[in-house]
Amino acid sequence: MSSRCRVELVALVTAMALIASGCDRERRAYHQAPEGTNPGPALTDFQPGSPQPKVASAIGQQYQQNAYHITQGGRLYRWFNCNGCHNNGGGGIGPALMDDQWRYGGSIDQIHSSIIEGRPNGMPAWHGKLTDMQAWQIAAYVRAMSGNVSKAAAPSRREGLAATPPFTQVPEQPPRGSEASAQSPPPQ
Amino acid sequence: MNAATDRLQATWSDPPGFIGWLTTVDHKRVARRYIATALGFFVLAGLLALAMRTQLAVSENSLIGPDLYNQMFSLHGSAMMFLFAVPVMEAVAVYVVPLMVGTRNISFPRLNAFSYWVYLFGGIMIFVAFFMDVGPEAGWSGYVPLSSSDFSPGKRTDFWAQMITFTEVAALCVAVEIIATVMTMRAPGMTLARIPLFVWAMLVTSFMIVFAMPAVMLSSSFLISDRLVGTQFYNAAEGGDPLLWQHLFWFFGHPEVYIIFMPALGMISSIVETFARRPIFGYVPMVLALVATGFLAFGLWVHHMFATGLPPMGNSFYTAASMLIAVPAGVQIFCWIATLATGRLHLRVALLHVIGFFALFVLGGLTGVMLASVPLDLQVHDTYFVVAHFHYVLIGGAVFPLVGALYYWFPKISGRMLSERMGRWQFWLFFVGFNVTFFPMHYLGLIGMPRRVYTYPAGMGWDLYNFISTVGSYMIAASVLLLVINIARSLRKGEAAPADPWGSPDLSWAVSSPPPSYNFAHIPVVTGRHPLWADDNATPEPRLPVAEGVREDRREVLLTTPVDATPCCRWALPDPSIWPFWSALAITVLFVWSIFDQWGIVWGAIPLAITLTIWFWPKRSDPSLKHDEDEHTDEGRDDGEPRHAA
Ligand code: HEM
Ligand SMILES: [Cu+2]
Repeated sequence: MSSRCRVELVALVTAMALIASGCDRERRAYHQAPEGTNPGPALTDFQPGSPQPKVASAIGQQYQQNAYHITQGGRLYRWFNCNGCHNNGGGGIGPALMDDQWRYGGSIDQIHSSIIEGRPNGMPAWHGKLTDMQAWQIAAYVRAMSGNVSKAAAPSRREGLAATPPFTQVPEQPPRGSEASAQSPPPQ
Repeated sequence: MNAATDRLQATWSDPPGFIGWLTTVDHKRVARRYIATALGFFVLAGLLALAMRTQLAVSENSLIGPDLYNQMFSLHGSAMMFLFAVPVMEAVAVYVVPLMVGTRNISFPRLNAFSYWVYLFGGIMIFVAFFMDVGPEAGWSGYVPLSSSDFSPGKRTDFWAQMITFTEVAALCVAVEIIATVMTMRAPGMTLARIPLFVWAMLVTSFMIVFAMPAVMLSSSFLISDRLVGTQFYNAAEGGDPLLWQHLFWFFGHPEVYIIFMPALGMISSIVETFARRPIFGYVPMVLALVATGFLAFGLWVHHMFATGLPPMGNSFYTAASMLIAVPAGVQIFCWIATLATGRLHLRVALLHVIGFFALFVLGGLTGVMLASVPLDLQVHDTYFVVAHFHYVLIGGAVFPLVGALYYWFPKISGRMLSERMGRWQFWLFFVGFNVTFFPMHYLGLIGMPRRVYTYPAGMGWDLYNFISTVGSYMIAASVLLLVINIARSLRKGEAAPADPWGSPDLSWAVSSPPPSYNFAHIPVVTGRHPLWADDNATPEPRLPVAEGVREDRREVLLTTPVDATPCCRWALPDPSIWPFWSALAITVLFVWSIFDQWGIVWGAIPLAITLTIWFWPKRSDPSLKHDEDEHTDEGRDDGEPRHAA
């Protein structure tokens, strides 16, 4: 076997290995949403009895790693006028979304249920207005606002006025305390 | 073998084994792998096309979904243009041009090796990305905003943009080498008026590359920085401009099609001259037509943008310029026809492909003139009419001559003859299959089928024509398979090729097939346009005058003046080196890293700087820097005075 064949063989084997590993970040789910439901996350750490382990839903993970869903969420965020209260994440009538403070939790599961169920003091329940897939997409986008997104999946500048820095450049601000829930009460 | 050729062999040959394979700077070896790689990408991109045609064979087919289809046509187009068509033409030139001008290597041999590695790594990168579902998805022309972050999220378009940077670096390197080779390394006596037409074509092409490629590199770098760090080059709301993309892209993109097509014109001239057994009719008009095409090609790009709503006056100017380019094209076609009509034809497979070219290219040219008129273009913009048009000019105008050239130069490159019988089958399958595939697309476009769609509803009247087209694409595939078999068979047990199997007129046929590592035992001296022909009837010339005085103990070549090709000095070319390979690897790391992180450009520059420094650091041990003691005895001999060899 000539040396060139050997090189090509190595390239081929590498390529095969890469295919097998796949790339979830890039999948485009136009018609079919990822499977699964939101397990109904706890909104605070206060709970009766001994602390229960928190479970992050698999479906949330799929959305928050996927570049297409995050970008799609950004467009829905504008179309459904989330800007009206939250502005471009800086907050207004509603709280800011681009920082590390979360009243009802900053994990994607918690944000998803905040969107679907609504919250006191003005956050409407979007249940029935958005499909479940769209709510997940928006939740993924909201997390990206505070840099909680893989840089390889983050959207950069959008078409239109630049109201935020590109998310590829936003430093990561994990929700204060543990990832999965709101630890601290909202500042008074 | 006498002592002199032994010495030359010792000086010019590569170290044996894998190290030699990795370090070689021999233009022939590099060109051979360049050609093989480019043909490999052609087959891969062709398989993508076959898959697309299979998907489109019937309406509402669900074999390939919309997302994969997007990636497939984008990668097919990008690979065909950037990884096949341009590189393969340059690769043939890297092989043939130094032989045609009568010198021992290309002008910057290490740059040449570097160019190949960069090209190879870039090509591998984009195909690996495709297999990982990160293939390009915004078409080969990557229009913004479709290719910007909002509509092409993730890293797909970043890989595409970086693939462009890879291939442009490679193409620019080769262009510079070819210009320098043609301008300074021609055999003594090969004045501008005696350069073979293929070399002229490559010279003009190389200048076009130098002016056109930076535009696309700029536009793709703007795009990747828009996507990576949020610059606003193409964002209208922030003062950027999506039209800027189209202008920059097509300022490159239109010349690009001539960069593909012009080398093919040179190949045709070589083939026609050889197989018509007479000098090309109208050498001077041919050269002027090439140069005119080179200039005009830069004034046409807006004809790709008629649908963007530019002012009518601008559009009219570009319409006129587009129609004007039919004049030099026509001049060449008529010169070839005159040559063929007055020559003594030897209808070999190579010439068959050229004749196929005439038919197909004229058809593609006619639809081109149609598309150049704004009202018609607005009707058929982005329909299959356009797909038909550009495949007629690209395949008819470039791939047919290229396959002809493959038959023509294969004996020189491999030392074996290809089977003519199989070649004829292959030609007819290709010719018929091509028309069956692409002719119905004209009609499909006129009745409204848009391009870049993954399926279509039944009952539009499109089913039959799509099905015919798919059948044709399988015929093309069969033809390509036949070509591959022909090549494989010939490499194994083909008939050995003599130095000049066709009775060709240019210097590349004066050396054995395949040529020795040093090409010419003596630097030839040229006294006419056809060094190997004694007269205009293609009688073989038995004697070739040669020059002496070029050293054999280092890689020395004779440099000559750009216009008259009078000898001016001797120049030592560098020896084999591993550093072009490492530099190419370092630049690959930088390019791929910068897809994910802007700091990749900074940190990636460090290994690159190190490898480049070592590459360029003069080393006393380099034989090319050797000044041995008996240098003064050489001075008594003259440099390049013609001397007749027996
Ligand atoms: C080998 C036979 C070939 C076949 C069967 C073929 C077929 C196709 C098909 C089916 C498409 C997609 C049309 C669409 O969906 O809109 C396409 C697009 C294209 N092809 Fe080919 N093709 C072939 C060879 C080539 C060659 C040799 C070149 C260039 C040198 C080329 C350049 C392109 C380009 C630039 C596009 C447009 C891609 C885009 O829309 O961005 N093709 N071809
Ligand atoms: Cu054009």
